[in-house]
Amino acid sequence: MNLLARIRRIPFWSWIWFILGALYFLLPLLATFNFSLRMERDVIGFKAYIRAFEDPEFLKTFLYSNVLALMTIIASIILIVPTAYWIRLRLPEARRIVEFITLLPFVVPAIILVFGLIRIYSSPVKIPFSDITLLKPLTTFEVGTDILIVAGYMVLGLPYMYRSVDTGMRTVDVRTLTEAAQSLGANWFTIITRVILPNIRAALLSGALLTFAIVVGEVTLASFLGVPAFGPYLFLLGQHRAYEPAALSFASFLMTWVAMGLIQLFTGGQGQAAGAH
Amino acid sequence: MTHLALKNVSKHFGDFTAVKDFNLDVRKGEFVSFLGPSGCGKTTTLRMIAGFEIPTEGVISIEGIDITNKAPSQRNVGMVFQSYALFPNMTVAQNIGFGLRIRKEKESDITDRVKEMLAIINLEKKADSYPYQLSGGQMQRVALARALAIRPEVLLLDEPLSALDAKIRVSLRAEIRSIQQKLGITAIYVTHDQEEALSLSDRIVVMNMGEMEQVGTPFEIYNFPTTVFSANFVGTLNNANGEVVDPANGTLTVDGVKFESATDLKSRKKGDKVKVAIRPERFSFASEIRKANVVDAKIENITFLGSVVRIQIKIGNTRFNMDTFNNPFLELPKIGSTEQVTCSKEAVLVLDE
Repeated sequence: MNLLARIRRIPFWSWIWFILGALYFLLPLLATFNFSLRMERDVIGFKAYIRAFEDPEFLKTFLYSNVLALMTIIASIILIVPTAYWIRLRLPEARRIVEFITLLPFVVPAIILVFGLIRIYSSPVKIPFSDITLLKPLTTFEVGTDILIVAGYMVLGLPYMYRSVDTGMRTVDVRTLTEAAQSLGANWFTIITRVILPNIRAALLSGALLTFAIVVGEVTLASFLGVPAFGPYLFLLGQHRAYEPAALSFASFLMTWVAMGLIQLFTGGQGQAAGAH
Repeated sequence: MTHLALKNVSKHFGDFTAVKDFNLDVRKGEFVSFLGPSGCGKTTTLRMIAGFEIPTEGVISIEGIDITNKAPSQRNVGMVFQSYALFPNMTVAQNIGFGLRIRKEKESDITDRVKEMLAIINLEKKADSYPYQLSGGQMQRVALARALAIRPEVLLLDEPLSALDAKIRVSLRAEIRSIQQKLGITAIYVTHDQEEALSLSDRIVVMNMGEMEQVGTPFEIYNFPTTVFSANFVGTLNNANGEVVDPANGTLTVDGVKFESATDLKSRKKGDKVKVAIRPERFSFASEIRKANVVDAKIENITFLGSVVRIQIKIGNTRFNMDTFNNPFLELPKIGSTEQVTCSKEAVLVLDE
C-alpha cells in the first residue's frame, strides 16, 4: 500500500521518460538475446552459446583480456590512489590540472595513443648521447607488448578510475584520518593501505569495474599492438559469423551485471560507515 | 620539573603570523588549556606540538628532548580531534588497538590494553561496534581511549567537545578531567569555551591574535585578569575609562565618581588615563553590606536570567551591569530609582590595554 502510494506520487512525465529510457537500453539487448537463440532454423535454443564457448580461442582471448584488465586495475590503483590522496592532502591547487589530464583520453582517440606508443617504443631505449642500449624495443617481445598495452589501458581507464577514487576520498575526511593515524605512529604506507584504501573500497570497486569493462571490450589498442585479446576476437568473429557474436555480447552484458551485483553486495555497509563519520 | 616546553615558538604562513613568540613550560600531569577566539593561534600551537606544523622559529621539547622537527609519528603524542577521526573501517576495539599494532606490541598485550581502555571509558559492550553505530559522545570517548592507549607523553585535545550537545559536553568534560587525573597524563586542551577551560584546567593560556595574553590558574584568570582582552574574553565584564587620582592609595575616578582599587598603581602618575573593569557579580546593594567603594547608581533596567538577576545601573554617565543571585524573597529596586551600590577594592581592576 505504502509502495503503491509512493509510485502514484511520481509525476506522469517521469514515468514516460523512464519507460522510454528503459526501452532504449533494453530493446537492443532483448533483440540481441532473441537473435542469439535462433541459430537453428525454427528452433529456439542455446546452440550459439555452446558453439561460442566451445571455441578454444574464446577461452584463450577472454582469459588473456581478464589478466590484462586485472593488471591494469592493479597498476591504476598503485598510481592513482597515492596521487589523488596527495592532491587532497597537500596539493589541492594541482587538482584542476590533474582533472584536466584525466579528461584527455576523452579528447585524444585511442588510435592516436596506440600510434604514439608504437612510434616511441618500437626503437630501443638508449643512454642519451651514446650507443649503449638499455632495453630492446618493447614492441618486439611479448612481455614488452603486454607492458605497453597495460599502460595504454591505464590511460583509457584514467578518467573513470581517478574520478571514482577522488569521489571516494571526498566522502571520508582524508586529512583528519591521516593526522589521527600519524599521531598513533603510522607511516605513509600504513596510512594508505590500512586507513585510506579500506575506506574508499566502494569507489575502488566502481573504478575497477569500469576499467574492467573498457579493457575486456577494447579493440583498437589490442589490434594495433597485435595481442590475442577478447575485443579483436569478438570483432573478427562478427565479420565471419552471425549468431555467436550476439551470444557473446549478451553473455558479456550478463557478466557485467553480475560484477555490479557483487559490488553492491561487497559494499553494502560502506555508505553507512562513511556517512556516519 | 618541566615536561613539555615551548620556547620562543612562532609560526608564519607567508606574511601572516599565526603564533608569535610563544613561551610555556608545562609540568608532568598538568592540564593546560589554550583559550581564545577563532584565529587566535591556539590550534596552530597545538598542531606544532603534534608535529602537523613545523614552527618557523623556536624550540619544542618533551622531557628536555628537542622534538621541533620530528615527524608526528615519532613524537609519542596522542591527539583527540573535534571530528573524532575514528577509522570507519575498524571496530571500536580495532580503533583503540591501532596505535599498539603499529608499535608491533604482542597481541595478548594489545587485547589487555584495549580491555583496560574500554573499562576506563565505560564502553566494554561496544568493543565490536563500528563508529557509525555509536553516538557522538561515545565516538569521542573511543577517540580519547585510542589516543591514551599508546601511553603518550602528552595528550592533545583539539576542541573535542565542540561537536556535541550541551548536556553531553558537560558530562564528557568531567570524564576527560577525571581520566586525565587518574592516569596523571600531561594534557593540552584547545577551546574557545571559557566555561570548559575554567572547569577543566590547572592553568589557562589566554591567546589573542597569535600572542599569549595571560597565563594563570582559572582563579587568577577570572579574578585577576591583567589585560582588557583577557578580562573581556573570560566572563562578563563592565569596562570604563578612569583617571588616576592618587597612585599611592590606589584611588581613581570614573566620570568623576571616586573608586578605590587594590591594583598597584604606583607605576602610574596622577591624571593618567586607565581602563577600569568590574565584574557584574562584584557589585551589591549597600543596604546589605558596605564595602570600600559605596557609590550612587541609577537603576535603568532589570533582566531576569534564571539563577541570576541582571540589573543595569548608571554610575556617573557610565552604564554597568550588576548581577545578583535570584531567590524567591529578593526585593528588587524600582526602575528609575537611585540606590547605593558597593564593591570591594579588589573588585576594581585596572588593566593594561
